[in-house]
Amino acid sequence: MSTITVKVEFGGGLELLFGNKRVHSISLPSFVPADNTIAPSSPPNSETPLLAESDDPPLPANGPIPDPMKGLGEMKAKPLDVQYLMHYLRSRLLTERPELFMDGDTVRPGVLVLINDTDWELEGEGTYEISDGDEIVFISTLHGG
Amino acid sequence: MASCGNPIADDSALMLSRPRFDKGKHCVKCKLNLGNIVIRHAVYCRDCFTPLVIVKFRRALEPHVNANAGTSKRPKLKASGSLVLGFSGGLGSAVLLDLVYKSYFAGRPPTDENGDPRGGINHPRNVSVWTSCAVCYVEVSSAIPEAHERTEEMRSALASYPNLKFIPLRLEDAFDESWWCRMTGNPDMSQLTLELGKDGLPTEGLNLAHSSNTLSPKDALRAFLTALPTPTAVSRAIQVLIRLLMFFTAQFHGASHLVLGSSLTTLAVSLVSCVAQGGGHAIREEFQEEWPPGLSPGVERGGSVRVVRPLRDVTMKECAAFAWWNGIRVPGRPRLTRVITGIPGLTKDFVVRLEKDYPSTVSTIARTCAKLEPKGTSVGECWFCYSHLQGGLADWKARISIRSHPNLKVVERLASSSPADSSVHPDQTSRLPPLDTHLCYSCITMFTSRSSRKSSFAPPLIHHQDMPLPRWVKPQDAEEAIPVSKNGELWVRSRQSEKECRESIADFLLPDN
Repeated sequence: MSTITVKVEFGGGLELLFGNKRVHSISLPSFVPADNTIAPSSPPNSETPLLAESDDPPLPANGPIPDPMKGLGEMKAKPLDVQYLMHYLRSRLLTERPELFMDGDTVRPGVLVLINDTDWELEGEGTYEISDGDEIVFISTLHGG
Repeated sequence: MASCGNPIADDSALMLSRPRFDKGKHCVKCKLNLGNIVIRHAVYCRDCFTPLVIVKFRRALEPHVNANAGTSKRPKLKASGSLVLGFSGGLGSAVLLDLVYKSYFAGRPPTDENGDPRGGINHPRNVSVWTSCAVCYVEVSSAIPEAHERTEEMRSALASYPNLKFIPLRLEDAFDESWWCRMTGNPDMSQLTLELGKDGLPTEGLNLAHSSNTLSPKDALRAFLTALPTPTAVSRAIQVLIRLLMFFTAQFHGASHLVLGSSLTTLAVSLVSCVAQGGGHAIREEFQEEWPPGLSPGVERGGSVRVVRPLRDVTMKECAAFAWWNGIRVPGRPRLTRVITGIPGLTKDFVVRLEKDYPSTVSTIARTCAKLEPKGTSVGECWFCYSHLQGGLADWKARISIRSHPNLKVVERLASSSPADSSVHPDQTSRLPPLDTHLCYSCITMFTSRSSRKSSFAPPLIHHQDMPLPRWVKPQDAEEAIPVSKNGELWVRSRQSEKECRESIADFLLPDN
């Protein structure tokens, strides 16, 4: 199973929801559950395989990237897309007030998303299939005028 | 897929979402590059986007720079004074600061071998549009005890813009006699208060009194905010205090222009929220206004200040992309100054959601409101917010209000609700006019509307018998303004006695017998 590494950056005050860290490098499997199910997070020293690895929160060094489809039976799979990434960010990296980041299956109105420096509306929004090395930026516009 | 139908229906029954752009993915301007951003259904590449924002900014600002338009179609830009920029730390004001600096203050004129501007300092090329630029920030942390001060953070955010003066203000300056004396040169140190009822809220009559308290400005600010009845009132009061603090400061520094970073989105929020709070009569001032208004008292220094919102055609999304692509640092706006509660907060949620699905509608709100004209004439300025005062407001209120209360016990309790041990001298009270006839409808609503929920952020420990008012709230000319119609006809009202009334309609009365 291959993995995809994506650089995620937050701006406009959105980084405050993610532990005040602006840049994250995240490795995710290339195929993920179609219903965006995120397996519950495990403590760092647990032997239970994690769904994916990222530099934040800390993960076991050089640990294998588990197959997210493993154990999910006949569940449909899909290529890794931005929608899954958002669910992953909300489940694993968000530290407070999830309603300020997501609204249903998409980002909250007022959050601008750039995929490789291009408005995500030009790239299919949440259905954009992430490639290795992509840079995705979430910018909040709600910090006033 | 957009779920516009039955959510449990078959996948094939779901309507495909329409793309958010009209034509292809190429830039509609250069038609060469692939687009990077969608603005109101149009696609722009990054190279064309930055000049687009700059053009919108200049197009909104430059027609208001010269004091008089003159006859030239392309007049030389020259302001009559300096520039003050209202900086909140938010996205709009950070973008505005960068645009103003790079457009008008960063350019260095060509110099000769001695380092002097070529052609002399009086050469038209070397003359700045404004003599100087100051950045004004209002610190609001005193309004809530646990908030931390951000003045130094804002000062450091301006470090990359040399030659700009930083003017830090504090929200409690509105209650500070030394600040008021410095701004106006007026030695009158008296402060007025509003009498509060037993519930700690202003009484319906809005009775003014002279203050005998010696509260510090910070305590006065907190007492003022605590006595406001609703979160909407608190939100509006803070906006009014910030607005007037900047107006007085800009005038004190001899500014000819005060620029604010309201984007098209925030302007739409302000317009809808203004109307929802009863401020429709002064809606034109949300676009542009001159300070001081005609009857402003006590202010003698400096000329008029033109308030301009140069980002009024630039949406919040454009601001965010512009800031990101140009590396503009956005410190973030203090939570208290963002509209997050009450009517403004609800309006902001609505407009931001609307803009996501229907991006052109926000522009429609602004363009529609720009066509509105207030009905009736203004009869002065509101004593609290200095916006236009609608004529005939008291009569209209009297017609639509129910004055009698069915429960006599409630009436008696309301009548005795003024604090008995008030520190106000009776002769002083009698000389002060009631405030309710000198406030605009929004301000009356702000002071008197009741809510079942108390304001959540205000510290409940501070409770006073009266509510300190900002220093600029002063009794103005005692004479009632006389309304003048468009043809110059004066309208003077006087109460007729029953006998006079009977005589005036005597020809139409049937005989008693």
